[in-house]
Amino acid sequence: MEYYFGILQNIGFHTLLGLSAYLLLLTGQLSMAQVGFFAIGAYASGILTVIYGVNIFLALGVGAIIASFFAFLVGFPALRIKGLMLVIATIAFSEIVRLYFFNLRWLVEKDGVEVGPDGAQGFREIRYFAANGWEPYHIVSFIWIVVILVLFALWWLDRVKAGSVLRAVGEDELAAQSSGINLTVVKVSAMTGGGFIAGIAGGLYAHSTTYVDHNSFTILLATFAVAYPILGGLKNVFGTLFAVIFIQGILIEGLRFLGDYRNLLFGLLIILVMNFYPKGLINIPIFNWSKLVKRRDL
Amino acid sequence: MSFGFIDILQSLIDGILFGSIYALIGLGFTLIFGAMEKLNMAYAASSIGGAYVGLGLATLFSLPLFLVFLIGPIAAGLISILVYLVSFRLIPSTNHLGSLMASIGALFFIDEVIIHETQGSPLTFPELGIFAEAYFMLGDLGFRGDLIFIMIFGLISMGVIIYLLYYTRLGLATRAVSQQNVAARLCGIPIHTINISTFVLAGILGGFAGCMAAASVGVISPLLTIPITIKGLIAAVIGGLGSIRGAIIAGLMIGGVENFFLLVRGVNERDIYVFLLLFVFLVLRPNGLFGNEINRD
Repeated sequence: MEYYFGILQNIGFHTLLGLSAYLLLLTGQLSMAQVGFFAIGAYASGILTVIYGVNIFLALGVGAIIASFFAFLVGFPALRIKGLMLVIATIAFSEIVRLYFFNLRWLVEKDGVEVGPDGAQGFREIRYFAANGWEPYHIVSFIWIVVILVLFALWWLDRVKAGSVLRAVGEDELAAQSSGINLTVVKVSAMTGGGFIAGIAGGLYAHSTTYVDHNSFTILLATFAVAYPILGGLKNVFGTLFAVIFIQGILIEGLRFLGDYRNLLFGLLIILVMNFYPKGLINIPIFNWSKLVKRRDL
Repeated sequence: MSFGFIDILQSLIDGILFGSIYALIGLGFTLIFGAMEKLNMAYAASSIGGAYVGLGLATLFSLPLFLVFLIGPIAAGLISILVYLVSFRLIPSTNHLGSLMASIGALFFIDEVIIHETQGSPLTFPELGIFAEAYFMLGDLGFRGDLIFIMIFGLISMGVIIYLLYYTRLGLATRAVSQQNVAARLCGIPIHTINISTFVLAGILGGFAGCMAAASVGVISPLLTIPITIKGLIAAVIGGLGSIRGAIIAGLMIGGVENFFLLVRGVNERDIYVFLLLFVFLVLRPNGLFGNEINRD
């Protein structure tokens, strides 16, 4: 049972990461910085609960706000560049964050034990859940409540004007600008929102694994984060969810018996999907009820 | 930590010499970007892959070790063709995201093949013969022979590429494809052949850079690929994507900055400053040093 809880938790974090990249992809920005925001959220909320003894909900919120603040800052230089340059800049950002935490030592003595981030040794003993008597199923349900809230928020976003504005910028910046959309506001707020979601994901990740280090936040994870919405397609949020379940649940967990060859398969899979389905695996608007209604009218 | 002026100068010289490797990789990224307006993220991986193939074949058939530096670039060129076929050939040319993701897939695939074949442990790489022993002194400053050789090679290859691009029919065709894809096709230029030749050229350069990087460090490991990829990309961006001399100058600059901060701040922090340099450029000069060379609509 513990094993399945572990998989469920993992799918939860990856879904949140994928959704944060999805929000940015709607505006046409391919950002590899999500893993940087994820790391900031993880360390910030971990430090809050471990060193300052803050409540988990507050710590997650503050961690997410700090992450979104950095996303806000990244959003401005990122505005001046587009497409492939943005990919490189955001890779550099994620690496800066990773190296910063690689060098961060902030040890505090609590009850005779030194706790806090310890450079290359990582950040151990983020034991808020265990110390406050949370059972594994509490943790899993908490993570999934957050995932469902975020899924719902983004699904709702597509139903209101803000969603159309985001997509308009993603489809054609020039046309969007000429219809009076302020590109700066749209892009920076998408970046900030993505940072917020990634920050929450990071906080949840740090607390449920109880241990993070700089190796948890590599370019590979950043690639995963953008791969989910690209594989799932940008039609709606559920594409990302299905892509995460497909990759994390079926490919990564289901193919454990392949051992070493499993990693080979991952690169190959991305290549194959991109060649045969360049617009994503799931292109059918599953939850688009309006289409059904229209057909009846005809 | 205390160091004098001469230490700083020495570390800058070492860094700039080592930066030739970043310059060569950045040159490859820039070449492919210039021809197709796409990034081949698997480029550094195929370079390191070529070096591995060279080393593997040389040990397998117990060939003389200098042949590694011949087989490596050729193998990297062949791997580049493969990467082109799987990540660029079939994906529509308007879909930049698609080929970017596919080449990242190829990057992980090549990395994992290497890890799988070597059980993840680094291998020792032969040194560059007489060049490795050569060490020149100029006053109090020393110059490593092998790095000087790489730098000269880098400058020569820059000259060769500029010649190829601007003074031959192949170069004319390449520039035509990069400026107006459809018009070039209407003129009867075979765009895939042109693209493949760009990939092979870049691959050979990268294979050489990969062999040189491994030779100057002494070991080869798949862990080299990600840092070289990122720094090569940064060199290409700071130089201005598509600009050949920009990539070379930026690569040397990155090497110098990296080694300077290695001296001042230590090995764990040096890369932070290299990446910050990129942000400084993005804020102040988003088009890079020579970014205005290629203007497209």
